[in-house]
Amino acid sequence: MHTIYAERPVSISPLRRVGCAPELAWQICCHTQLPVTQGLRHMHDTISYAFLLPHELSAERFARELDGDAHCQVGDSTEVSLRFYDSFDWRLHRAGLRLLQVDLPQGRLLRLKSPAGEECVDAVVFEAEPAWPGELPDSDLKSRVVGPLGIRVLLPIVSVRGKVVELRVLNEDAKTVVRLQLLTLRCESPEVNEPRALLPRVRLLPVTGYAHEHEALARRFADEMEWPKAPQCLFDEALTAVAREPGDYSSKLDVPLKPQQTALDALRKVMLVLLDTIGRNIPGTRADLDSEFLHDLRVATRRTRSALTQVKRVLPEEIVAEFRQRFAWLGQITGPTRDLDVFLLELPRYRASLPAVMAGGLDGLERHLRDAQRSAQAELKRQLESPQLQALLDDWRHVLEADVPPGEPGWFADLPIERVASQRIWRMYKKVLKDGRTARDGAEPEFLHELRKDCKKLRYLTEFFLRIYPAGELKGIIGTLKELLDNLGEYQDRQVQAERLADFAQACDHGDPQYLDTVMAIGALVADLLHQQQRAHDRFAETFAHFDSRRNRDNFKRLFKERGAPLG
Amino acid sequence: MKILGIYNIKGGVGKTATAVNLAHLAAESGLRTLIWDLDPQAAATFYLRVKPRVKRSAAMFRGKRELDEVLKGSDFHNLDLLPADFSYRNMDLLLGENKKPALRLLKLLRPLADRYDLVVLDCPPSISLVSENIFRAADALLLPSIPTILSLRTLEQLLDFMEGHGLKTPVYTFYSMVDRRKRLHQDVIASAGDPRCTVLQTLIPYASEVERMGLERRPVTDYAPRSTAGRAYRALWDEVKRHVGGLRPLSSFDSPF
Repeated sequence: MHTIYAERPVSISPLRRVGCAPELAWQICCHTQLPVTQGLRHMHDTISYAFLLPHELSAERFARELDGDAHCQVGDSTEVSLRFYDSFDWRLHRAGLRLLQVDLPQGRLLRLKSPAGEECVDAVVFEAEPAWPGELPDSDLKSRVVGPLGIRVLLPIVSVRGKVVELRVLNEDAKTVVRLQLLTLRCESPEVNEPRALLPRVRLLPVTGYAHEHEALARRFADEMEWPKAPQCLFDEALTAVAREPGDYSSKLDVPLKPQQTALDALRKVMLVLLDTIGRNIPGTRADLDSEFLHDLRVATRRTRSALTQVKRVLPEEIVAEFRQRFAWLGQITGPTRDLDVFLLELPRYRASLPAVMAGGLDGLERHLRDAQRSAQAELKRQLESPQLQALLDDWRHVLEADVPPGEPGWFADLPIERVASQRIWRMYKKVLKDGRTARDGAEPEFLHELRKDCKKLRYLTEFFLRIYPAGELKGIIGTLKELLDNLGEYQDRQVQAERLADFAQACDHGDPQYLDTVMAIGALVADLLHQQQRAHDRFAETFAHFDSRRNRDNFKRLFKERGAPLG
Repeated sequence: MKILGIYNIKGGVGKTATAVNLAHLAAESGLRTLIWDLDPQAAATFYLRVKPRVKRSAAMFRGKRELDEVLKGSDFHNLDLLPADFSYRNMDLLLGENKKPALRLLKLLRPLADRYDLVVLDCPPSISLVSENIFRAADALLLPSIPTILSLRTLEQLLDFMEGHGLKTPVYTFYSMVDRRKRLHQDVIASAGDPRCTVLQTLIPYASEVERMGLERRPVTDYAPRSTAGRAYRALWDEVKRHVGGLRPLSSFDSPF
């Protein structure tokens, strides 16, 4: 069987439809949602076939070549286009989903397919450019994509445009027995300047009651013409055409390293991956497409600073001192916007935590946060476009890509990374263990903040050098560390949020008619946050006990102590 | 799925032309449409270039053969045909073999409900068990009438029959093969219709374009969409849609992707 775009009937949803003109600009910020009038279902309930043609053929020539056995009539031609969408970090791809918007003469259609090209749910007619998953029309399609996408916005990944010429194969009564579509397609993406052509293809559509003729023609194309079957989904083909690879970005750090690689090489490799992550998230942060761009940018910056300071005596001291300071600046300029983003992301949870009659009291807070976020974002954009940032990134790349970094080499630069990394992880682990035990036995709250910082350093170190240890061995260790970090994070974040909210309440205008409602709502919220912080504190001893388990201790010792002989 | 019966006791009033042209317009608007040629003369089958079937209907009416085994696609996207066969001349007998003979047609159509949005029944003339099946299966009856006294009389006969059998199917009538030069046509059109049915405003003219359907073997709405007749059928379809309801435009699509 030679199948493509395996089509099963798509049943109608009681949605809405709006006609539209094709719109092909790469505007990824279009959040306008027009009403949608109805969902659509596919006409065909039998499999259609598609074959790749060895070269481009005009419809007339194709018809003439086919005329030997059957009369073939050339019909109308139409322009077609579609776009694939995913989040910047390929969340739909990772969930095994392909979201595409097809422009048809009747309107714009959103379809959700599996990698094999099968329709996952009913298609939905949707005029606007898909952006926020929550703004898609209520449908099975929305339900399937909302979970995987989370708080990420949809972006166009690749666009396919082309021409479809209809042909009809007629029998002796001049009756249509098979419909054909001759497709010439090209792909466009911001990554390529010129459109890239795909192989032309012919699609065979069955006519009810003429299955024999349909099958016979498909056999002829496959066996006599020896035309290969067309791929079942255009997604991979289109991405390859524009030189993109699905999943080519992930916020997860996974640097391919070898244990015997020199520490300098390995560290620079890690740093280059982090630099690439910073660079790739800058345009999305500048445009404020979604809050995850800034988040990933900040995490990569923090990891860079951590790598600079924690992997000691590998890079020249003066380089470490200089870039530690310069990356601290990048951390500072991105901080205010991120803090406000976090508040805005938390708002729905805040509202839900209050009694319904009090939730309206947060309207003033929301207005304040949105205004403040807009101002902070404008300032951030200005900073991200500054020569200072460009110089930082250029200078840092120069250091990382130079044959030898400028300055006196670090003492451990030429040692195997396995030894250097293991020794650093082992030392940091011992510090976390010691401080954690002190905290468990009742230290000051500030102590927990310091412990959290060290835990983060330990986590980053294990993540940088994950691949030099036997696959899967670090999984348990990272799991308990993450559990501990979540607990400490909750403890600290709730406190910071409570303090910020209290500051806001104090700054509220007493003359505002909503003043009392706002202050009471914030008061209730602060109380709830402090309760949560208390609960996080109460859970600390138990969480730390998991980290401080015999098994975990043995694992740390086995993995890092023995590999990381003292370096002097 | 909506079922629209195109019916008249009289023959030669433009039933088949109406069925084929309206079905074509419905399919063009995006409705998955089936036209069932119930007339043994097989005119709709001929117009859509399909060969009539021979002696296959008995098994179908006895429930031993599925309806979708005999469906044929037309030359038009979204439009399929259930071709007539000559044994339909004995359809009364075939229907009479069943337990509930007056509901047999509806029972046969039910499995197609997921596949089609609209079924257009091109009915044979006369009033019989076949007609009663059509009245009970259809969501609406559409009666083309030539504006003559005899046509008015047959309409009255039909409405009496329906009343007598307790049939509540809404009846819509319109004038076809209208010749505005004839005084009689003008008078009949101007007269008040029977209050038991709705008289649609569209007039289908007597036109050579319609007669050419036999030569073209296509709907007028395809080969002469801008002709007087082509435009009249489009106006009729718009009116039918408004009255019948539930015929949402564009409920299916065909995408190469």
